[in-house]
Amino acid sequence: MIYFDNSATTRPCEEVIRVINDDLTGDMWGNPGSLHKLGMNSAKAYEQALADIASCLKCSASELIFTSCGTESANTAIEGFLKANPRAGNTVISTRTEHKCTLETLNLLEKEGYTVKYVKVGRDGKPDLDELRSLIDEDTALLCFTHVNNETGSILPLEQIINIRKELCPKAVIYLDCVQSLGKLPINLKSMGIDMASFSGHKVHGIKGVGLLYIRNGIKVNPLIIGGGQQNGMRSGTQSLPLAASMAVAVKEAEKARGQAYEEVSKINSYLRTELASRGATVNSPDDALPFVLNVAFRNFQSETMLHCLEMYDIFISTVSACSSKSKKTSYVLENMGIERSISANSVRLSFSRYNTMEEAEAFVKAIDEIYNLYEVKVR
Amino acid sequence: MATNVILARMGEVTLKGLNRGRFEAQLMNNLRYRLRNYGKMSIFQSQSRIWIEAKEEGNPYFETEESARELMTAVTQVFGIVSVSLACKFNGDINDIDRTAADYVKNLLNGNPDYKTFKVECKRGNKKFPMNSPMICEEVGAYILEHFEGLSVDVHNPDFVLMVEVRDDNYVYAGKMMGHRGLPVGTAGKGMLLLSGGIDSPVAGYMMASRGMPIDAVYFHSYPYTSEQAKQKVVDLAKIVSRFSGRMNLYIVDFTKIQLDMVKNSPHDMLTIVMRRVMLQIAEQIAKKNDCKCLITGESLGQVASQTLEAIAITNEVVDMPILRPLIGMDKEATVRISRDIGAFETSILPYEDCCTIFVAKHPKTHPKHVDIEEAEKNLDIEAMVKQGVEENLEVIKI
Repeated sequence: MIYFDNSATTRPCEEVIRVINDDLTGDMWGNPGSLHKLGMNSAKAYEQALADIASCLKCSASELIFTSCGTESANTAIEGFLKANPRAGNTVISTRTEHKCTLETLNLLEKEGYTVKYVKVGRDGKPDLDELRSLIDEDTALLCFTHVNNETGSILPLEQIINIRKELCPKAVIYLDCVQSLGKLPINLKSMGIDMASFSGHKVHGIKGVGLLYIRNGIKVNPLIIGGGQQNGMRSGTQSLPLAASMAVAVKEAEKARGQAYEEVSKINSYLRTELASRGATVNSPDDALPFVLNVAFRNFQSETMLHCLEMYDIFISTVSACSSKSKKTSYVLENMGIERSISANSVRLSFSRYNTMEEAEAFVKAIDEIYNLYEVKVR
Repeated sequence: MATNVILARMGEVTLKGLNRGRFEAQLMNNLRYRLRNYGKMSIFQSQSRIWIEAKEEGNPYFETEESARELMTAVTQVFGIVSVSLACKFNGDINDIDRTAADYVKNLLNGNPDYKTFKVECKRGNKKFPMNSPMICEEVGAYILEHFEGLSVDVHNPDFVLMVEVRDDNYVYAGKMMGHRGLPVGTAGKGMLLLSGGIDSPVAGYMMASRGMPIDAVYFHSYPYTSEQAKQKVVDLAKIVSRFSGRMNLYIVDFTKIQLDMVKNSPHDMLTIVMRRVMLQIAEQIAKKNDCKCLITGESLGQVASQTLEAIAITNEVVDMPILRPLIGMDKEATVRISRDIGAFETSILPYEDCCTIFVAKHPKTHPKHVDIEEAEKNLDIEAMVKQGVEENLEVIKI
């Protein structure tokens, strides 16, 4: 099996499986909220998991909240911040290439009366900074951006955005979706200049069911889930040690492997860019994109057809466009980048992880050659 | 004690002359099959109507009007049934009838608080009952009026008609759910439906089944051009049609190689026509082997390039069986209405590739002539293609 769909989800790494197994089979199943010894042991391990993550991400443990997934983190951050700070302003600025968990939240808020302004993105997937300057005003409460776009790997010019905020509206809060950048780009929450950020466990060889939300100390956010007041009241519900510990191990391992993984994956990416382009494929990911994501359009193959062809070779990739006979729906991310329909209808996403190898990339190219021989259809 | 029973009325079946018995027997069989998963029940006919009763106590589908709705919907989906009512069955004298009718009305008003007027109608099969029908109507009507302040009688245009039937047992009911009418499936010969993932073909299958025709279906699968999801969608559509048509075999033809062969060896503006001709021949072979007497397609005149009269004429001539096209003169909107009505629409519009779309030319010939098709097929071994479709990797799914 060749798995090039790591932006969708990743295989849980051994260390993660081990820690979950230990926590589930040992005497670590107590409720971290209990006053007895059994609960205290869980609580200690839980605090340790939090501290480990905090030290990896360079923040304080009190600034982190465990959630169920990246989506919950995004929902809580965006809605929770606006609801908790009615006087911060009524306007949110974002782009139309955000993940659906952001866009749908913004849609809902717009219906509730908030103003949402969308900055155009260019062919490289980056927001137009001049337009951003023109859109920011006194009423701007929140800026929502994505560190690395999940479909193209396009990296946000974060520093410039931080500077624009500083210059034009220092009170505006920045929420950053870091789901795709965690473990791939350096994350230093203390120095990045952002106020809130979301992360997900299963994108970094952790497991599904756990995410993280970073809220800088001093930023007020309303919780989405209320009840027993766990996690400083920010996310009620009994804390899960296995999930927390799995997240901590996943983050630590990803951080440990980050440098080398980046190097390896860069090689794979540039090899594939060259080989596929020489076969007539169009690379949609910008040149300076994160190497972990490669969005590419194969000539004469609709996205879904290519996906199924590769599936026959036990190679897994993803299509973000669902085509049907009547309505051709293509990726809204590519559409907003100004990529032609004919290209986006044929676009697929390859996404890599530290476990992918150059041999796999070579096998991939070989499979593509065979697929062209066997299945290319040019209907005029 | 009062129990709920379901009363179903037959339609066109009752107009049959000497064959009526056969039609009714088929209808009863179909009902039993359709209701096989709703618990043990007795289904019997009496005076040109069908009564459905739970055999065991505690069958949830008979308990309340709400829970009976699912069962009643299933009954309405059996072709030959015109309407269905939930009736309350009990025994006793006129006092019992009064009381049960009042209970029934109370329930009815709970669900329909805007009901203001009513009338009572009565059928008396049991001629030994001491009151005749008009007397019963009068008595029950008076009792209801007395007990429900907001209600008044309107014999011309009532909000509801309370039916009272006096037979060996007594029954009260009001309102009915409309059935899908038609003739019982199994009273006509079997047809082979060309089922795609679209809106039209499931409707075509439904329509032919409504004339008593049992249905098998054939689907042309072109993996990797069409996905497993697209195939699953067709299986789901077949299941929806089979709610009405009963047991069905779905034949899945592995069409990939055949299609690639066509793309390579015939002009692209004739591709769809050539493809349809081969599909029809494969379908006919499978139909013959499985005792089907006709083919059914969802074609509608002029809807797409391959459905012009010229194109239909040219595709038609490769098979001997009649090809039934129940949608041929129908507007798309009417088809969509039926599709929604039978619960197929939401599945039909799911966005997966289907084999027609990828292999379609930009400018297909809309008025093909004979010379065109001769030219288009001259480099193809059609016979071998058909044989391949019928024999290689043919999958059968029992729906």
